[in-house]
Amino acid sequence: MKVAYYSPLPPSRSGVADYSALLLPELRKHVDVVVAAKRRFRRFPSADVALYHVGNDPDAHGWIAEALHARPGLVVLHEYVLHHLVAGITLGKGDSRGYLDAMERGHGLAGRLLAFGVTEGRIPPLWETRPEQFPLAGDVLGAATGLIVHSRFVESRARTAGFQGPIWRIPHPAWPLPDAPSEPVAGSPLIGCFGHLNESKRIPQLLAAFDRLSASQPRARLLLVGALSDRLDGLETPAGVVREEYVPEDRLWALMKACDVIVSLRSPTMGETSGSAIRALSLGKPLIVSDVGWFSELPDSVAIKVPVDETEPEALSAALERLSSDEAARAAMGKAAHELVERDHSLSRVAELYAGALEEAAGGGVVREVVLRDVAEAAAEIGIEAADPGAGEIAGRLDEVELGG
Amino acid sequence: MNIAVCRPQVPFARGGAEIFTDELVRQLRIRGHEAEIVSVPFKWYPGQRVLTQAFLWRLLDLTEADGRKIDLVVSTKFPSYCVRHPNKVVWLVHQFRQAYELDRTELGQFSESAEDRATRRRIQRLDQVALGEARKLFATSGNVAGRLRASTGLEAEVLPHPPQELDYRTDAYEPFVFSVGRLDRAKRIDLLIQAAAKQGVDVVVSGEGPDRARLEQLANGRVTFTGRVSEAELADLYARCRAVFYAPVDEDFGMVPFEAFLAAKPVVTTTDAGGPRDVVRDRDTGRVVEPTVEAVAGALAIGEDDARRWGEAGKALAERVTWDGAIDRLLS
Repeated sequence: MKVAYYSPLPPSRSGVADYSALLLPELRKHVDVVVAAKRRFRRFPSADVALYHVGNDPDAHGWIAEALHARPGLVVLHEYVLHHLVAGITLGKGDSRGYLDAMERGHGLAGRLLAFGVTEGRIPPLWETRPEQFPLAGDVLGAATGLIVHSRFVESRARTAGFQGPIWRIPHPAWPLPDAPSEPVAGSPLIGCFGHLNESKRIPQLLAAFDRLSASQPRARLLLVGALSDRLDGLETPAGVVREEYVPEDRLWALMKACDVIVSLRSPTMGETSGSAIRALSLGKPLIVSDVGWFSELPDSVAIKVPVDETEPEALSAALERLSSDEAARAAMGKAAHELVERDHSLSRVAELYAGALEEAAGGGVVREVVLRDVAEAAAEIGIEAADPGAGEIAGRLDEVELGG
Repeated sequence: MNIAVCRPQVPFARGGAEIFTDELVRQLRIRGHEAEIVSVPFKWYPGQRVLTQAFLWRLLDLTEADGRKIDLVVSTKFPSYCVRHPNKVVWLVHQFRQAYELDRTELGQFSESAEDRATRRRIQRLDQVALGEARKLFATSGNVAGRLRASTGLEAEVLPHPPQELDYRTDAYEPFVFSVGRLDRAKRIDLLIQAAAKQGVDVVVSGEGPDRARLEQLANGRVTFTGRVSEAELADLYARCRAVFYAPVDEDFGMVPFEAFLAAKPVVTTTDAGGPRDVVRDRDTGRVVEPTVEAVAGALAIGEDDARRWGEAGKALAERVTWDGAIDRLLS
């Protein structure tokens, strides 16, 4: 069976590019994969099913969304909020009307009015200020014949939006652990935070909580790794914060290995999974996360979840304090993290789940028709008609064993 | 209790699952239960029809029969566990192996077409649903339980069952190795024949099957093929042999080791035999060797003292597997 695979790939710095680079070799053990190239996406590869990795970054995913609209297929919805993507493939190409129409399809007349406000420069871009309120996922859902998601959160949002096709929930795969040793970084404990450092990562809140922790744990250090968002320029960092800009993958692992605790906060969430959190779990590091979206679905045994409300500062401080002072708790969470990764996030398991979804997406419709035709013919031969109660019972039994739809 | 024991039926074929379920019904009746076999014919080809065949089970109403409530259904192998009942217990003999570990092997049946691949996945989904709704899951061997865990994530308690009733006894340890079962390639009698020739060991092979002509040609007169034997003849062969060879590829459970043990005979098997590995332990209850002619040849050279000692150890193990114990757990 052949799969046409649409995804950003390295050297793109997108998280989905890293994801596909990890997944593809393992997936190829199950199915034939032809990778669609950006420059020639209009020449659709011959395949039984097309798989589109869709994320919010228009540079990485714009061409994929366009290919999806031209030929519907199975969509990996890496995040639910796609406002930035939609803005990129409309406004980004000078297509104001496309953006207005998308906002109206998603949010009615009020959406169109807001979109006018954006295009006329009267209000700041919604994809920067409050995209989570205007996710604009409808067009992608409309073109998707099925969805692969990483969380119940995104599954639930898609269903609420009216998506009726099949959904497969497949965990994010874990990377194989590199052999390189940890990089020596001072700090006892050493708390790490990795990734693009922007407001949604709750960096100001983290810095404030770390400042409070320093009073009781003067040897503690906070390692902040990643490019700092322009909007956080000028942010004061308390004593004990160690900064690193964007680091290549091997150094990222070495720095993560050095950490005792890893913090991965997020709000608002776009429904995304965190590659940093997955890496941390692979390393058996205890996590502190925000209690939102995919992060909420992590087992309590591997992550302390901090609510995003008025109790956040206190809860975040308490979490840092607890994991800084309780080595046994860190060890227990680390052990649970290893077990979780082995059970749910192993690359071989994820590839097998992908193969299952692809195979069902490609041939499931035909199989369903064969079964239904067999059953219908047999029922008709003995005089059961569609309006009979017996037909309803048969349909119910088919649904029970997931052969009906 | 009124108990329906569910098994699919391949018309004109009878094997271990049929022997097991017939005996289960008999043993339940001995213990005062009303027990009955419920069977539906099963044809597993063409592949697209497997799901329709499985769905037939879902249409059965086994909640009561002739006004009498059916208290419990015990389903055994695919697709009988698709049956719908509020008190469904599965004593799993095997899933539809072509959809799992036999896929993409010479014993598989699904091609690389999108339709075949999807059919296989639908069977797996069906297993998730049908086995997942069982009140309790048992598996006849660790191998079957392991496959279930790997394929569905469902956990089953391992519950072996005693073999068929025979006049088990130990008359002698005559210098021949015995093999019994259906003569098909998966049973690897060819490995026994080649190893025995190399070692100069006499062999008696009982059973019929599609591979018999090839095996007889391979044996070139050095092996005794008895064909199908009566229960008395079978008991006699067990009673007289030195050891029993049983090394199918990745077998579900296999009653032969327990039968051999009850005659105090050791079993020669291979590392990839599956179910038999639950009970055959190297130089304890028999021999476990790599599936090569050389290794099996070495394993067939069992002296009388070793055969007696290992056979007695196996017998002690087999005698602990009783219908009383099995049915207590099944009905718990």
